[in-house]
Amino acid sequence: MSLDKLIKNCINQDAQAQSQLYKQFASKLFSLCLKYSKNYAEAEDNLHDAFITVFSKIEQYKNKGSFEGWLKRIAINTSLQRYRQDVGVYDIINEGNIEDVSVDYNDNNVNIDFLLNIIQELPDRYRLVFNLYVLDGYSHVEISELINISTGTSKSNLARARRILKDKIEAYNATSNSQSL
Amino acid sequence: MNNKKNIDRLFQEKFKDFEVAPNDAVWDRISESLPKKKKKRRVIALWWQIGGVAAVIALILTVGVSVFNSDKNNAQEFPIVNTEESEKNSKKNNTNSELEKNSTKKSFDKKQIELNTIEDKNTKVVNSNLDSEQKTNAIRTEDNTPQNTRPSNQLTNLNNSKQKSNIIANNYNKEQKTKNLQKPSNIRAVANKDKSTRIATQTKTSNPTLKTNDKSQLKSEAERKSAIKRTIKENKTVVVENSSSKQQDSETLKTDSNKTDDSLLENLIIEGPKKESIENAIAENKEIIEEEKEDEPNRWSIAPNVAPVYYGSLGEGSSLDQQFNENSKSSDINMSYGIAGSYAISKKLKIRTGVNRMSLNQTTTDVYAFTGAETAARGTDAAFKNISFKEGAQHVSLMSSKMMNRSSAPELFNTKFAGNIEQKFGFIEVPLELEYAVLDKKLGINIIGGFSTFILNENEIYADVNGASTLIGEANNINDTSFSANFGLGMDYSLSKQLNINLEPTFKYQINTFNNTTGDFRPFFIGVYTGLSYKF
Repeated sequence: MSLDKLIKNCINQDAQAQSQLYKQFASKLFSLCLKYSKNYAEAEDNLHDAFITVFSKIEQYKNKGSFEGWLKRIAINTSLQRYRQDVGVYDIINEGNIEDVSVDYNDNNVNIDFLLNIIQELPDRYRLVFNLYVLDGYSHVEISELINISTGTSKSNLARARRILKDKIEAYNATSNSQSL
Repeated sequence: MNNKKNIDRLFQEKFKDFEVAPNDAVWDRISESLPKKKKKRRVIALWWQIGGVAAVIALILTVGVSVFNSDKNNAQEFPIVNTEESEKNSKKNNTNSELEKNSTKKSFDKKQIELNTIEDKNTKVVNSNLDSEQKTNAIRTEDNTPQNTRPSNQLTNLNNSKQKSNIIANNYNKEQKTKNLQKPSNIRAVANKDKSTRIATQTKTSNPTLKTNDKSQLKSEAERKSAIKRTIKENKTVVVENSSSKQQDSETLKTDSNKTDDSLLENLIIEGPKKESIENAIAENKEIIEEEKEDEPNRWSIAPNVAPVYYGSLGEGSSLDQQFNENSKSSDINMSYGIAGSYAISKKLKIRTGVNRMSLNQTTTDVYAFTGAETAARGTDAAFKNISFKEGAQHVSLMSSKMMNRSSAPELFNTKFAGNIEQKFGFIEVPLELEYAVLDKKLGINIIGGFSTFILNENEIYADVNGASTLIGEANNINDTSFSANFGLGMDYSLSKQLNINLEPTFKYQINTFNNTTGDFRPFFIGVYTGLSYKF
């Protein structure tokens, strides 16, 4: 079944089409949810909510842009929803211009699970900003609109996130290196 | 091995193809919380599918059976009779409906004509009678007749006017003599003027003589009614009125006083029955209005129906005995008639049931019938376990001619003529069906599905040899109660809000009518149910 037909059938609330659509996109969206969530359970909840939104609003998809992009935006928005409500107070630390953060890492040790883990461990807003900016290509202006912060805060949160991640990777490298020695 | 890299690049590269399949439980939760609308759709879709299949089967069978049987001797009857019947029925219904329409129209027209003529009559009276009392009364009756909205008033007024018209007749004789001279001049003047002015002049002339009855009340009434009358007149053809009044005028002018007396009396006498017909017309009108008021959806309907039914089998087989499997079988067009009632669950869906009486027959051809002695000679077991022979017919034995050809036939059989076995059976049918409206307009299309319960009430087997038909017994393998699956395609045409003509070709597949059938015997019948349904 072509994607267009699949979407059409989903609009008609055809159960089989809905199941097929889920199977086709669940993995991609779940990876997104994992990045934006604190933990696995929260990611599952977000995935659930995202798909409910997808199926209830699928008739609003107007073939503008890719369908996958539309799905991803819904998944991201759903994940952000959780943090829009309780905007924690974060210190705005002016990190200066440390945009180019380089990191030493061991390619054998630094696997995806570890990276995901340290993303999830980030404070909520650092995680959101880092994901949005670095992994999903949003600009600071867009981010500021999405999670209702200033662009300055967005930038500072990003810098802070990078710093934390860099420290964790290097610390991990150190322990694994010492273990292997 | 350590690398040094921009942290953003590191994450971007690592997450580029990052995909994680979620737990299956997530989908379960999602599918549970999705709206259940699709289930409803499914039911409808299922209906569409079943209905579509039913319609197709019904059509194919109707066409197929006629085509399939067309090369057989007597089966040609089927399509011809079938269409004739249905056409006849539909024609009949059409003419009925037309007649009904015409008659209602006619009655309505008649009513109007009556009103007009009566009015004319009244105006005549008015013109020829210059007595004030008579005139005002006449005006009153005239005015009352078009006022259909107050039938009760009208009736009493009519009665009054009747009585008064009698008085008019009496009074007239006395007063006519004195007023004869005035009359022609007045009439002439009146004929050229329009009604309202006529009334005005007349009321003026009548005023002085208004002394006996009603007095000032009548005067005001006459005035008021002349106003009403004026408006009413606008709706009517002035030409007709003028011409009629002119005619009347000329008549009265020609005749002398005695003759006008007579003609007036005649008019008045004629008026009586006419007024009664007005009462009838009013009553009819009331009925029509009442009927129109009943605009609420009519959920119930009742439909007497009649259907030519054709009985057949899908496969080659026999309900009688194995040896007849290959014999050609035919059946006549029989009739089913009954009454059905339905209840509209929704706008589209109706549930319906009813009672039909139906008789079917099947003729198995090329069968030899023997008496006992020949049976013995044949040496074959003559027992038919599916036939209970009646008293005195036990010795009759039946044999398919096909079987005969296979065996070495003794001389004896060559002299015999092959006959037929005719099996007749009848049922009381109680259907329970759902009717789904595909098209819900003046011409409706429905899909019908359901089942019927059959109660056996007729069961006979005849041996038909040399043109003589003998009752030999009955089939003992027909169940007293059996069922059928029904599929049909219905068309209905609404004649009025209450009345519909239905035409429903229906295919009924009999499920357990026979026990111990042989061969591939799958009986069915097709009926073209035609009827009138009345909603209430």
